[in-house]
Formats: sequence, structure tokens, C-alpha cells
Amino acid sequence: MAIIVGIPLLAILAILQSTILSQLRLLDGRPDLVLLAVVGWGMTGRWRESMIWGFIGGLFLDLLSGMPFGATAVLLVLVGAMVSFWFGRFWEAHFLLPLGVTLAASLLLHGLSLAALVLIGHEIDPLTAVARVVLPSTFLNLLLAIPASELASSLSQALFPPQVRA
Amino acid sequence: MTRNLSRTLFAVTLLLLLAGLFLLSQAGLLRPVENLALRPLVAAQQWISLRFAAVRELVTSPRDIAALRQEIAVLQAENAGLQREIISLREQVAEAEILAILVNYARTQPENRYLAADVIGRDVSPYLRSILIGRGSDDGILRGMPVVTDRGLVGRVVEVFGPSARIQLLTDPASAVNVRLQTSRADAVLAPQLNGELWLDLIPQDAELSVGELVLTSGLGGGYPPDIPVGQVISTRKRDFELFQQAVIQPTVDFERLEIVLVITSFRPLSIEPGNP
Repeated sequence: MAIIVGIPLLAILAILQSTILSQLRLLDGRPDLVLLAVVGWGMTGRWRESMIWGFIGGLFLDLLSGMPFGATAVLLVLVGAMVSFWFGRFWEAHFLLPLGVTLAASLLLHGLSLAALVLIGHEIDPLTAVARVVLPSTFLNLLLAIPASELASSLSQALFPPQVRA
Repeated sequence: MTRNLSRTLFAVTLLLLLAGLFLLSQAGLLRPVENLALRPLVAAQQWISLRFAAVRELVTSPRDIAALRQEIAVLQAENAGLQREIISLREQVAEAEILAILVNYARTQPENRYLAADVIGRDVSPYLRSILIGRGSDDGILRGMPVVTDRGLVGRVVEVFGPSARIQLLTDPASAVNVRLQTSRADAVLAPQLNGELWLDLIPQDAELSVGELVLTSGLGGGYPPDIPVGQVISTRKRDFELFQQAVIQPTVDFERLEIVLVITSFRPLSIEPGNP
């Protein structure tokens, strides 16, 4: 069910990222909506679907990007895996801890994106990349982290209402 | 322990699947599937980008706000359907105005054939500067074709799908264009920086550069046609101990405001890769 909902949702988020958010920037940074969806869904405890969302969302982003096909999907699956491994260990203790997960996920995504681009021969100045892209994008992701996790939680409860025993 | 193993196995399975997809994509075997998946995405992108452009135009044109408010006051008396029609017509007029400018430009360059295309999106990766246009191999677009506006060079086609194509902008750090300075006749190579600045490199030390000098494509290397405006010199850097001097240029094209571009379909870039005669 989550995958059926996820496919159109992730497609819409990828299109919004390409058409609108690419023009509403802080320096060269922009929020990563698909990343936020993957992290948000992972934080609902549905780790398997979170990785699948990373897989599907990443492929949508790769279709709309010059990154090698599959590269963003690999990164988002790794993000989904990271969230799933941490789930239940830290953030259930405090509602602000999703910010920490989003921070780690953003830095992981951007760090690995940079590494992938350098590997395929792009010349990127790491300091400029960090100052103009990584930090502003991470900041924007953090701004949206809590609303995104709340939306994911609401969607999860709507799709999978808790079972009540009589 | 078992739970962690299960998660690891699941992640590894997905990663192996992606590795397979990557290899298939590199071999070009996924192109039909990519085309099929892109058709609805491109249609949605076109729909959203058209409306976003209209909203942005409304927000960023303060001179038009008074006139628009008057129009809105009149239109409120009419039905909602008519309002939608008027907004649509206004957008078409704006598009027609851009097209008229581009047609005039095309008339001044009769040796080239052009195909106009809407910009429907930008690269989702903040590290790559490229745009997506709503024309692709279905319309005869080929990889390597240069893309221009009436102001100058935009970039070139680097990836083609059925309904769309990806244009690598001049400002992409991976882009390299051979250029010539119009007055001093010095050859140089455009070296875009990640911060958006456009540097000219490999300018001979004896070249006498001047601020404001026009920079044009040189045609060397066969990647672009010659004499397309690229930018204007805004500063130079010359050090006696270096082999070459450098310059910073201001591009003639406003890359933040691209809505419609022209693809030069009559130009075939020369391939100098090994194995390509």
C-alpha cells in the first residue's frame, strides 16, 4: 500500500524539486524533498518501505538529473538504511531528534553525491561546494524536517491505522 | 541481530538491483524504459513550469501590478472560466513575444536552422547546472547540438530522450567552450566555477584585454559554431610568473530567466573521441 501511494507521491516531489524548488534557492542550496520523504517514512518505523521509497524516489531524481542513472537511488537507499538502523535507538526519546537524523542524512547524501561526481570526473572545489550547496541545503532540510516527519507520521497512521483489540 | 541482518540483506539486494540498472543504463538498454517513464514526468513538468512561470511573472513584475489589479477588478465581474481563459491568453502573449524575439534572431542567422523549445525544469542536483527542455529525439534533437537565445550561447544538448533533452549550461563546471575575444583576437577556454563565476583561462600573456570586450565562441574543436556571443569581460588577472592570464566574464544570457531556447539543429559537432572517425 505504501509503495502504491509512494510512487505518485515521490514522482510529484521529484517534479517539484526540478521545476519550482530549483528556482527558489538559498545560495545554491535547495531542499531535498525526496530525501525528507525517505527520512520521514523511515522514522515511522517502516524501514523496508523507506528503503524502497529511496530506491524509487532516487530513480525519479536520476531521470531528471545529469547524475549517472541509479546514483541518487543508491544514495537514498543508503539513507533509508541508515535511518532504519538507527530507528528505535535514539529519537523516540525526544521529538527534536528527527532533526539530528535529517542533519546526518543530508550530510550523507551531499557528501556521497560530491564523491560520486568527483569519481566520474567532475572538478568540484569542496570548500565552495560545502559553503554554497551543502550547508544551505542542509539548513533548508532542517527547516522542513519536523513538518515532513509529522506529515509522514499522519500518512502512516491514515494508511495503517493502529489495531485496537476488543 | 537477525533484524539487523535482514535489513542489511534487504539494502544489499536493492543496491545490487541498482548496480544492474546502472550497467543496463550505461549500455543504453534502458533507454526505451527511460523514455516511457519520462513521458508523464515531462508532461507534468511542462504543466507545472508553465504555471509557475506565470505566478513568478506576477510576483516579480511590480510595474505590472497596478495594471493587473485593474484587470482583476474588471474580471471579477465575469465568470471564473473567462478569468482562466484570460490568464492563459496572457501567458501565450508573453510566450509569443519571446518567440518573436527568437524568430528575429533566427532571421539574422539564416545559415542555421533552429527549433524552439520550452524550458521545463532544472537539474535536481545542485552540483550540476543543466536544464531540461520539452523537445527530444521525437523532434529530431541530437546530442551535441548547441542551444542559444537571442542574447547568446546557452549550452549544448548532452542527453536526449524521446520527449525531452538535457542541456548542459555554459555555467556548469564540467562545461568547456573554446572562445575568442573579439577585439584582441586572443583564444581562450571558458572555465565555469561552482560559485557561478565564468572564468576565461589559457589566454596568452601578450594579449591586450580590455574590460567590456565581447567574448564569442571560436569554433575551435568543432563543438560549437563560431561567433556566438558568450559574455563580456568584467575583470582580468595577469601575473608575470604565470604562463597565461585569466579573465572573469559576465554571460550575455540570464541563466536564471530561461523560458524558451533555440536548438541549432543544422549544426553537427565534430567528435574527436578515439574510435570516431
